[in-house]
Amino acid sequence: MLNYHSSIKKEKSYSGLTVKEISPHMKLNLRGKSREFLSTIGKNINMILPMEANTSSTSDSYTAMWLSPDEWMVITNNTVDKENNNYPIEELLFNKISKTNLGAITDVSDQFVMINLKGEKIFDLLSAGCPFNFSEFKNKKITVVQTLLLQMDVIIHLTEINTVNLFVRRSFSEHLMSWIDDTASRL
Amino acid sequence: MSKNLRVKASRFIDETSRVSFKFNGKTYYGFKGDTLASALIANDVHLVGRSFKYHRPRGIMTAGSEEPNAIVQVNDNTAYTEPNVRATEIEIHDGLEASSQNCWPSVSFDIGGINNLLSPVLPAGFYYKTFMWPASFWEKYEYVIRHSAGLGKSPKVADPDIYDHRYIHCDVLVIGAGIAGIMAAKTAAKNNLKTLLLDEKTEIGGTTIYQNSDNFKIDNKISSDWLNNEINELKKIDNLEIKTRTSVAAYHGYNYLLARENLTDHLSKDKKKNKIRQRLLKIRAKKVVVATGSLERPLIFDNNDRPGIMLSSAVKKYTDYYGVICGKKNVFFTNNDSAYESAVSLFEKGIKVQAIIDIREKSDSSIVKQTEDLGIKIYWSHAVVDTHGYKKLKQISIMELSKDNKSVIGTKTNIDCDCLGMAGGWTPAVHLFTQSGGKLKFRDEDQVFIPNEYPSKQISIGSCNGDFELDKIIKNSSDSLKKFLEIDKTDYENLSVINSKEVNKKNIWLLPSDKIIGKTKPFVDYQNDATAKDIKLALREGFRSIEHVKRYTTTGMGTDQGKLGNMHALGIIADTTGVKMGEVGTTTFRPPYTPLTFGTIVGRNVGEYFDIFRRTPMNDWHVNSKAEFENVGQWKRAWYYPQNNETMHEAVQRESVAARVSAGILDASTLGKIDIQGSDASEFLNRVYTNAWSKLGVGKCRYGLMLNEDGMVYDDGVTTRLSENHYIMTTTTGGAANVMGKLEDYLQTEWPELDVYLTSVTDHYATASICGPNSKKILNKIIPNLDLSDEKFPHMSFKEAQIGKIKCRVMRISFTGEHSYEINVQASYGKSLWKQCIDAGKEFNITPYGTETMHLLRAEKGFIIVGQDTDGTMTPIDLQMDWIVSKKKYDFIGKRSLYRSDTIREDRKQLVGLVTDNPKEVLEEGAPIISKLNQNPVQMLGHVTSSYFSPNLNKSIALAVVRGGKNMMGKELFIPMEGRNINVTVTDPVFLDKENKRLNA
Repeated sequence: MLNYHSSIKKEKSYSGLTVKEISPHMKLNLRGKSREFLSTIGKNINMILPMEANTSSTSDSYTAMWLSPDEWMVITNNTVDKENNNYPIEELLFNKISKTNLGAITDVSDQFVMINLKGEKIFDLLSAGCPFNFSEFKNKKITVVQTLLLQMDVIIHLTEINTVNLFVRRSFSEHLMSWIDDTASRL
Repeated sequence: MSKNLRVKASRFIDETSRVSFKFNGKTYYGFKGDTLASALIANDVHLVGRSFKYHRPRGIMTAGSEEPNAIVQVNDNTAYTEPNVRATEIEIHDGLEASSQNCWPSVSFDIGGINNLLSPVLPAGFYYKTFMWPASFWEKYEYVIRHSAGLGKSPKVADPDIYDHRYIHCDVLVIGAGIAGIMAAKTAAKNNLKTLLLDEKTEIGGTTIYQNSDNFKIDNKISSDWLNNEINELKKIDNLEIKTRTSVAAYHGYNYLLARENLTDHLSKDKKKNKIRQRLLKIRAKKVVVATGSLERPLIFDNNDRPGIMLSSAVKKYTDYYGVICGKKNVFFTNNDSAYESAVSLFEKGIKVQAIIDIREKSDSSIVKQTEDLGIKIYWSHAVVDTHGYKKLKQISIMELSKDNKSVIGTKTNIDCDCLGMAGGWTPAVHLFTQSGGKLKFRDEDQVFIPNEYPSKQISIGSCNGDFELDKIIKNSSDSLKKFLEIDKTDYENLSVINSKEVNKKNIWLLPSDKIIGKTKPFVDYQNDATAKDIKLALREGFRSIEHVKRYTTTGMGTDQGKLGNMHALGIIADTTGVKMGEVGTTTFRPPYTPLTFGTIVGRNVGEYFDIFRRTPMNDWHVNSKAEFENVGQWKRAWYYPQNNETMHEAVQRESVAARVSAGILDASTLGKIDIQGSDASEFLNRVYTNAWSKLGVGKCRYGLMLNEDGMVYDDGVTTRLSENHYIMTTTTGGAANVMGKLEDYLQTEWPELDVYLTSVTDHYATASICGPNSKKILNKIIPNLDLSDEKFPHMSFKEAQIGKIKCRVMRISFTGEHSYEINVQASYGKSLWKQCIDAGKEFNITPYGTETMHLLRAEKGFIIVGQDTDGTMTPIDLQMDWIVSKKKYDFIGKRSLYRSDTIREDRKQLVGLVTDNPKEVLEEGAPIISKLNQNPVQMLGHVTSSYFSPNLNKSIALAVVRGGKNMMGKELFIPMEGRNINVTVTDPVFLDKENKRLNA
């Protein structure tokens, strides 16, 4: 029996900002171009993948984020069981997409750590290390962006005003949290 | 503080808040709002520093960032010390300590002042000419030169202050908050454009904000009142951000700018705690309005550098803004009307103005008439020919100019004074404009360089664009903004503006003297002591380009970068050589506009934030086990695990033996992992690797070598076929990101026809690699239901498995030459997997080993490490890995390059093994290899790439690249080391188990 260990241990609060990891979530990387790929995905997860750049869509169970013209990340809205890592939806999509050469389905659940940021100072924090222009982003005209934060590639997903899920590669997550702690303490 | 040196201050000085500070060890007092410069003047301290070369006494010359003389050391002898800070920019605060630079034992009595007496033998180029011979003396010269070089003192300990960076995006960036900048910011913000207004000063408003004269009115209000109202309105606009104490340092292409925001330098120590001192703003602006104003020019005449000789505009600012009297007996020396504004302003405050010396024949402007009406004596067509007073100005000598302005005539008149305000005209501050790539044009009329061609969406407005009079500034700025911001109107159209119009202009770059130039010291660059005489000398010696003259004379090379004197240098060159000034050009304006601290540039990228780092899921276990770590790429990898005070060598020897005798375990999570899917996945691998992939069976693994287009080894790793069209590729730890980028680049640009998708899964998996004769038994304990027989699970194959309810992938592959398994699980279970392996291996004395042991074990087997045994110049053939290069495949990356005449040479450096005659002697990695002793010059055949003492072979082993090494088996070579030579023999690079028996043991 293997035990689950999350990357970030504590929730942290600062002036105008709270930071915590939310885990475990299933995360799938979806690649494909054809109409059949899109319709197969749509039918099986009961939602249409967002086609507009840097947007996301959400159903009861899943959130899909546009990453590039032929790439999306789908995550579960709720946390999943830590006791096993069998995700029926992954298996289903892998069989329907990867095995039929419609595209590629890859489990990236632990590729990224999802850090939840809440508060009015989110973008003060992010602008200390991220060159992206958040002017339109923070007003929800766009909701997802892949960018660099401290030279680490990250995905930033605005779930609602002043709430952001920040996806960072697991290996960088501790360093990023240390930086957040340092920077947020002086916001 | 001498009360009599204060006049009633403006609203910018809080006379109710007294501030104490120390200068050169003595305590002084000033008011909140004072700069160090204004507070020193208020305390009648004018001698502030010494010049660089001649150690001449120098005072405060300006009131801004262009100050060349009053640069001081702040907080000397502390970790917070900073050299070369302009006293004109330091806001005084309790606890401030500043001291003069470049003087010993004191600024008042400086031994270095002897240089002034020696100045006739210290002309420009003195160093270049003098220290060339005798050549053997250079080291002695160097010692002295190095000790006299520089002005301030560098800190000797780490800076304890905190700095950071901030990215800012805006629609319109306005640089400079003078009247033009404020007009621009208000206009942009009111038109719903996200606007950022920056100014280096504490207060916005430029010079107009303290222009309280009836001579300057806007909309029937005194200009300062009008501007104050504008500022009040400006501050109410939502989409406008104003940052003061913020100096734009660099203006790069595409409207990317860097600015330094000074956040706490004006605060006392207790208020600075845990606060950011300075912040580097990285600004991207859709449009930029440059409103940086202009810098007043000094005048170039003999001894124009004494303390008390200042810019006319500075005298006015100290009086009007800071309420400080620069001199009790003031004289102005001018070639334009600006000095008259200063003189009138002083006169109206009851400060004595002795005279105005004007090089013009006459002027009929209203401000001149007003000055005459006030009874201030004006010497028309006169020039200052000398000044007197060593540590403070006491007297000036003036003479009449000849009609052709080339000499002075008549008798010398001496005028007693303690302050001389120079007004030599204005130079538009075009530094940022030119940094951005803008092209200048020269306006002959008033001899200024002004913006001509804009390289990006930007405009220059106000005096930096050559508009020096209030009515022109307002009208032209308004017109420019309308066009630039694409708006119908501004608030500033048809405003009534009253100001004095300058009607006569005249300029002489180097004023004539009654002495020959060789007997004068007309300073052009005050900080570096470069005189007009030096510039003329450079021209005589054949230097023509301004860039060459600059370097020969050091004109414009100080911390002020010649903000005051560069135009004069150009003018003197033009006049002397008979070339039009516009054709001389300018020196290059390079960032930063004003000096930046290293802290600002570095930001928070210090200490643990110096570089980003990555950790594996098992990291905590390694830390708890007291592992030493090494950086591999950005990863922190366990290097070795010392026990009982073992040295690194002892630990590695122990770990290496354990892995071969029983079992070892390595954290291999850092290897790059790329998930490859698509109907063309096999074809893709065929093109990427040198060997063939189509026939690799599902469930099998294969080692691959990836080349660059030049045929040189780029990366390597094992790729596993998970299903028909599904592979997982592993890459080197350090090369993962580059490999991913390169492969994605090929797919998108070279091979778009391939149906292949790549997804990085490096972080998704944690990998524990167990090796050794007992590895199978250990794995069997962890996954009992997995058939580990050689038939079912042979070397170079993989199995899907489960540990409890957790899915995992097990590969039977080996980098050590031992029977090995790599267990891959989702990263969040990695730590638990590692513990299970350790627990299961306890009975077999499983030994965790780090990267150093891994390197040793693989070297015993002759396995290469890309980047250690290769250096971007090695082909697979050079590595004696011919077997991995397919001869049948149509193509793969780098194939063509393998058949170039150079890559098929037999005498290329090739990978070989080396053993030392003395088996205990371990070679140094990087050591050179030669075939003959006592050669001159030495012919180096190659170098040692990997070297270890192998405890399993009980001898020293090494890998090396040797020219023609393939044909040297058994040959004796030499490793020349300091004081001795080591004898080695060339061998096969595989030292252990060439038959691969251990893989299946």
